[in-house]
Amino acid sequence: MTNLTINGRSLASDSPPDTPLLWVLREELRMTGTRFGCGLGVCGACTVHINGQAVRSCQVKLEQVGSGAITTIEGLHPSNAHPVQRAWIEIQVPQCGYCQSGQIMQAASLLAQNPSPSDKQIQEAMNGNLCRCATYPRIAGAVKRAAQMMKEKKNA
Amino acid sequence: MPDELLPNAGRRSFLVRSTTMAGAGFLSIALPPALGGSDAEAAISATPAYTPSIWFTITPDGVTTMHIVKAEMGQHIGTAFAQIIAEELEVPWEKVRLDMPLESNENFGIYGLAYTVNSGSVTTEFDRLSRAGALGRMVLVEAGAKLLGAKLDKCYASAGRVIDKASKRSVGYGDILQKVKLEKSFSYPNDFKAVKLKARSEYKIIGKSVPALDIPAKTNGSAKYAMDVFLPNMAYGALAIPRTRHMSKVLSVDDSAAKSIPGYLKSVVIADHMNKCMGWVVALAETYPAALAASKALKIETDPGPYGNLSLADIKAEFAELLDKPEEAANWVLEGDVEGSMTGADKTLDVEYSSDMICHAFMEPINCTVMQASDGSWHVHVGTQSTSFARMTLTAYLSMVTGKKQEELSVFVHQYLVGGGFGGKQDYDDVLAAAYCAHELGRPVKFIQSRESQFAISHPRTPTLHRLKAGIQDGKMTAMSHDMVSGWMGPRFAVGKKFNNGTDWLQLDSWDDKKQDIDQWSVGGSDHWYHVPNHRVRAWNSDRTTWAIQASALRTVSNSYNMFVVESFMDEAAHAAGRDPLEFRLSMLNGKGGNRGIPNTGYAPGTPSDYYLDQIWISLPWPTDKSWPEYESGTVGGALRLANCLRVAAGKAGWGSKKLPKGTGMGLAVSSAEERQSPTWVAGVAEVTVDTTTGVYKINKLTIAMDMGIAINPENVKAQIMGSALWGAGQVLSERLDYENGLLKQTNFHEYKPVRQVDVPEFDIELIQSGRHPMGVGEPASTIVAPAVANAIFAACGARVRHMPITPEAVLEALKAAKA
Repeated sequence: MTNLTINGRSLASDSPPDTPLLWVLREELRMTGTRFGCGLGVCGACTVHINGQAVRSCQVKLEQVGSGAITTIEGLHPSNAHPVQRAWIEIQVPQCGYCQSGQIMQAASLLAQNPSPSDKQIQEAMNGNLCRCATYPRIAGAVKRAAQMMKEKKNA
Repeated sequence: MPDELLPNAGRRSFLVRSTTMAGAGFLSIALPPALGGSDAEAAISATPAYTPSIWFTITPDGVTTMHIVKAEMGQHIGTAFAQIIAEELEVPWEKVRLDMPLESNENFGIYGLAYTVNSGSVTTEFDRLSRAGALGRMVLVEAGAKLLGAKLDKCYASAGRVIDKASKRSVGYGDILQKVKLEKSFSYPNDFKAVKLKARSEYKIIGKSVPALDIPAKTNGSAKYAMDVFLPNMAYGALAIPRTRHMSKVLSVDDSAAKSIPGYLKSVVIADHMNKCMGWVVALAETYPAALAASKALKIETDPGPYGNLSLADIKAEFAELLDKPEEAANWVLEGDVEGSMTGADKTLDVEYSSDMICHAFMEPINCTVMQASDGSWHVHVGTQSTSFARMTLTAYLSMVTGKKQEELSVFVHQYLVGGGFGGKQDYDDVLAAAYCAHELGRPVKFIQSRESQFAISHPRTPTLHRLKAGIQDGKMTAMSHDMVSGWMGPRFAVGKKFNNGTDWLQLDSWDDKKQDIDQWSVGGSDHWYHVPNHRVRAWNSDRTTWAIQASALRTVSNSYNMFVVESFMDEAAHAAGRDPLEFRLSMLNGKGGNRGIPNTGYAPGTPSDYYLDQIWISLPWPTDKSWPEYESGTVGGALRLANCLRVAAGKAGWGSKKLPKGTGMGLAVSSAEERQSPTWVAGVAEVTVDTTTGVYKINKLTIAMDMGIAINPENVKAQIMGSALWGAGQVLSERLDYENGLLKQTNFHEYKPVRQVDVPEFDIELIQSGRHPMGVGEPASTIVAPAVANAIFAACGARVRHMPITPEAVLEALKAAKA
């Protein structure tokens, strides 16, 4: 039994300690917003936060999480109120949508660490997240828009 | 069966009239038997909800739910369909919802074929959905007028209310439904004929960029893909990667190592009655990680079959040999005297082009969950491009597995959001495998392809080889010959008479009296819209390739390689003729002869490339009687519309006027994908910078102009154009699939490389809303990028690369050749 803190709640997992966090979240705890894409850490669809840091949950074993606070897409904001989610909807980013949880978690982590990223910094930070519909131009635009929203909120 | 397993169960209440479709063809692609007009009639709900036709239901709360039979896979088709219906129905957009009808034998008789391909959804359904909306409105206005005590001719509908012009009083649709029992329903197609539709100038919702209805669920994790299905007592399945892509045979399975994995249940050799899962062994376990680990721990002895030593080099060698055998070719286009006019030409151009395999690599790996309910019915949970074919294929398969007759089997397919399709989610091998496992285990099974097994069993675009020849006389192209060889995907879908005893739907006869079969899906795009008086296209089928690699359709199908070839070649011809590539193209896009376009759909002048095949992709068949008001053909205007797009794109990009630094060039391309009879007119300009020391090139900017007639949702059209253009960029820049000893080689995204954020160029997109019949926008722009980039590389440094993808090494080699 492993105790986990996910989206502020304490949850327990019965999975073997070497189970990738991705499968614990998705299939055991049934928080399916985190997506399986490659299992190798090269597509970014499974991105979640551990202590605010974006990680590929397919590459994190259950035993490695420890007391780390996990945030998944469900915990970012369930009714889309986080600035990144708002920007994503305003700019109409998703197409098939399958990679977007990962894109959004990556972007939220970027903006938490760098509230005013340059175009190049956005490109670099988001480059590990594949989108086969290639919504990339709108992703980049939405990251900028979210940064702007966060600034407006701060100044308000 | 438990109702919670049937998300759409409630909907069945109003679908009381149905046609039994027992005995319908089960093959991957087959048409439903003729539904015979009124058989497709929808009926009335027992509840106050009002369903005047099968496409939507209005409830007393004023909510309109649109029933969408097309797969939602990134194109936001539900939103587009809802816009079309809402426009004529006059319902407020904020009260529009979507659902997806359950696929069943019964519903198939009502909704027809659920199949999403060919960029054809809006094109083929626009007219019918408009009429369905208008009919619903007419009934509501009539009922509203009565309630208001007003004269019918003084009443009109707007935003979900019926308004009396005289008294200015109004009543909402919801109120009408609460007060009046509406019983009028409309049979398709008979009642649909007489409807008067709005003038396009009156549109309020069509042409407006309303936010897509499926997006909010995709930003908070609540969107449901098939991958997110859980059923009681469900086990997991993972595929042990077969020894070869096709025709492996399992001799023995040793699972002694797998047995030590906690949760391992058993391994199952999939009974392969339909040659779709050959050599498949699935490990079953209580969890997916355990199933995956077990799949790798199985020791499987295999007979690799006939393709065990086959590699891409062998395929290429066979291609070259085939092109030397004219007697085995089928003519796709044959106009004028090609050989004769070549002989008389001032100058000829004679070159070879080729393209590699690529695959769909959708972000959601193929997965499927199947259960047999306590009543014996089968339930498939899947995100697929065709729930209908999934059901038919599985019904036929289960008949072979269980020995029961097809009509004794009850199969339901529950559709989910599709995490990327691109032509690659229409094979149903996953459905068969999951069902067989569920049958063997006696429990529901969730079968998930790992990324590695997904690549190994992918259905790639065929490799191709082309020989092209042009005759140039007085600076004009007087003759063009295009010979091409590839694996034909049509035969694999079992649709040619040659391959399927008498079914002759998609396999067309060749142009001339040789009457050989030809696979339109493998040659489309070569029948371009340039006026060349002597024009021949010949095609060869490498049947071995088709089966060995399991060739399939990939976004625009053959256009995705043929436009690279044709548009690169046109550029070469322009240079050979000593003319500017823009001016050269425009002079041939003159709309003469067959390139003028045709006025109405259904028109078949008798040449293979003018066959009207869109009938295949629509859900319900179009009536064939002449009284039906045919919708306008997308080909109207012909090559002149393509020329217009080219002028716009070239002008916006600054063709011939923008000063470019050394090493930077511009290239042009036009395309009419997807098929000649269903064109979306698009032109593009790529601006590319080449580093001539390394051969590395960068796409700086893409300027694209598209005439899709009516843009239902312009901002979404732009998103589709950007996404598909970047798809095209991937196939010229970096995507490539290799085949060695019977196996597809790339295993994951570190080896197979779609474009990423850093590859994105600047975009300038112009929508030309000509007001013509709306055409599909999800694919066509993907075809122009590769040739425009190839032509820009040539303009930048003189390197002509005739193979796709274009690697830096190939650029350097071409540079060397140019200097020699």
